[in-house]
Amino acid sequence: MVISEQGYVHWQGTFIERRFPWWPITRLGIRLAFKRKFFKFVFSISLLPAVMFSTGVYISERLDDFQFMLKGQDRLLEVNPAFFKSYFTSEPLLFLMVMIMVLAGAGLICDDLKYNSLQLYFSRPLRKRDYVLGKMATVFFFLLILTLVPGLLFVLLKLIFAGSFKFLANYPWIPVSVIAFSLLVTLFFAFYTLLVSSLSKNRRYVSILLFLVYIFSNVFFGIFYSIFHNPYFCLLSIQCDIQQVGAAFFRQSPHYDVPWIYSFLVLAAICCLSAFVLKRKIRGVEVVK
Amino acid sequence: MTAVIQTKNLSKWYGNVLGLSDVSLEVEQGVTGLLGPNGAGKSTFLKLITGQIKPSIGHVAIQGQDVWNNYPLFGRIGFCPEQDAFYDEMTGWEFMTSLLSLYSFSRADVQSRAEKALDFVELAKDKDRLIRGYSRGMRQRLKLAQAVAHDPEIIILDEPLNGLDPLSKRKVIRLIKDYKEAGKTVIVSSHVLPEIEALTRTIILLHQGKILARGDIHYIRDLIDKHPHMISVKCSDPRRLASSLVGEPSVLNIQFGPAPDTVVFETQDRDKFFGLIPRLIVDHRIDVEEITSPDDNLQAVFDYLVGK
Repeated sequence: MVISEQGYVHWQGTFIERRFPWWPITRLGIRLAFKRKFFKFVFSISLLPAVMFSTGVYISERLDDFQFMLKGQDRLLEVNPAFFKSYFTSEPLLFLMVMIMVLAGAGLICDDLKYNSLQLYFSRPLRKRDYVLGKMATVFFFLLILTLVPGLLFVLLKLIFAGSFKFLANYPWIPVSVIAFSLLVTLFFAFYTLLVSSLSKNRRYVSILLFLVYIFSNVFFGIFYSIFHNPYFCLLSIQCDIQQVGAAFFRQSPHYDVPWIYSFLVLAAICCLSAFVLKRKIRGVEVVK
Repeated sequence: MTAVIQTKNLSKWYGNVLGLSDVSLEVEQGVTGLLGPNGAGKSTFLKLITGQIKPSIGHVAIQGQDVWNNYPLFGRIGFCPEQDAFYDEMTGWEFMTSLLSLYSFSRADVQSRAEKALDFVELAKDKDRLIRGYSRGMRQRLKLAQAVAHDPEIIILDEPLNGLDPLSKRKVIRLIKDYKEAGKTVIVSSHVLPEIEALTRTIILLHQGKILARGDIHYIRDLIDKHPHMISVKCSDPRRLASSLVGEPSVLNIQFGPAPDTVVFETQDRDKFFGLIPRLIVDHRIDVEEITSPDDNLQAVFDYLVGK
């Protein structure tokens, strides 16, 4: 007969749920990203396009002072919807965003799978959706710094340097487009990163895959387009899809003669695939021996 | 006494593989040992009662509340998994604080609890070292620390003594006993009988996903004691040792081999046999390299219990 030293005492306290249970996951993701080699360097580099475009906003308001440099190319520095479209869909920016995901996002789920951390998370008061939200928020944190923050900064700088609200009066929808497109492109990249990150336990493979899928989708488009001259092959390219949708959001004509909604649907389909895979991959570790 | 954990017809399949079959039991306050060979369903049972996986049939309740999807309830449970679950590039301190921040503790509370837990498992002075540099024993104690840092009422430990050296084992056993004395409910799984014996007398025996026996460990011990034991001795003069034990009534059989310096004894009274051995070794000046019990493991007990 077991003799117990102390009778069981019922817990008297009240359990307070965290308001944002996903935040510790996000904070850990951000902290671990800054520990990675080269991350700080690449992150700093990725801010350069924003610095260049901010300088462009300043010069656009001081055209007379910079005529010696512009030599009649003033049109290029006009701050209008095309300026925003150029920033948000520029190849260097998209490439740097992919590099940020390779360095900061590749390990988000793959490391948890590798280190068996899911069982520690899910034996705590943390829902699976909070876990995914926390991981996504890590990607959001980095990518919004490259999209939303500069986008709104350009609007603000334009207003400050112009000293009037004429820009907003001409294009009142620009801030909404900046916010909507930043969120859309970040949401897509977050789903894309988590999808690839959940496919392997090896961060190196995930990093390579993140990079190669993005690059090769573009390469395949280039090959097929040069053979068949059919613009619909642009749907194969992640970069082109983002650029097509970006053009529509900033009311510009798309680069390829394909309805932007098709590109939007391709991006949405990748997000849906990601959600499906994440639902299957992120669950309690089942033991089969 | 009130049952803390209750399971009713609990079953779990992984496709065609049966993980756990029709387990109905009640676990009370104190330490309960969950015994079974590898693949018996121990880890499945522990994952089910910690709400990490959903039962195929049946249900689990903790303090009368269903466990599945009951996230607030998880705050009262501490779980120490069998496998390592660390980010090697983190320090012990970062690991503890990041997990504690998943609860609704304030920042100051997170830090004080992390400090207390690391102190409790004697890792306070190593808290700023990378986990990558921790020994097996330190990692095991860190796992234990994360399971108890939020002061849970129910602590589930999956093979906590696995791979530990004797000194670390003693430390962990002492920690678990401290929790028992603090009135907590602790479930410890193991496939090594003497480990569980050092912790508790209340055991549950699992085999092929089913409960084979449960109750006082002495019951199981009696079954083992009725079962002849094999004891293998690797020494400098096995024949001389064998000749000195031929007349001993508790020795049923003596075999030489498989190695030339090994003799295997079969006895019905293991305790008496182990009482005799040291004296004979000293008297005959025999150098002993190793004494092992080839069948002193749970599988042998289970085979015996199921009549194989």
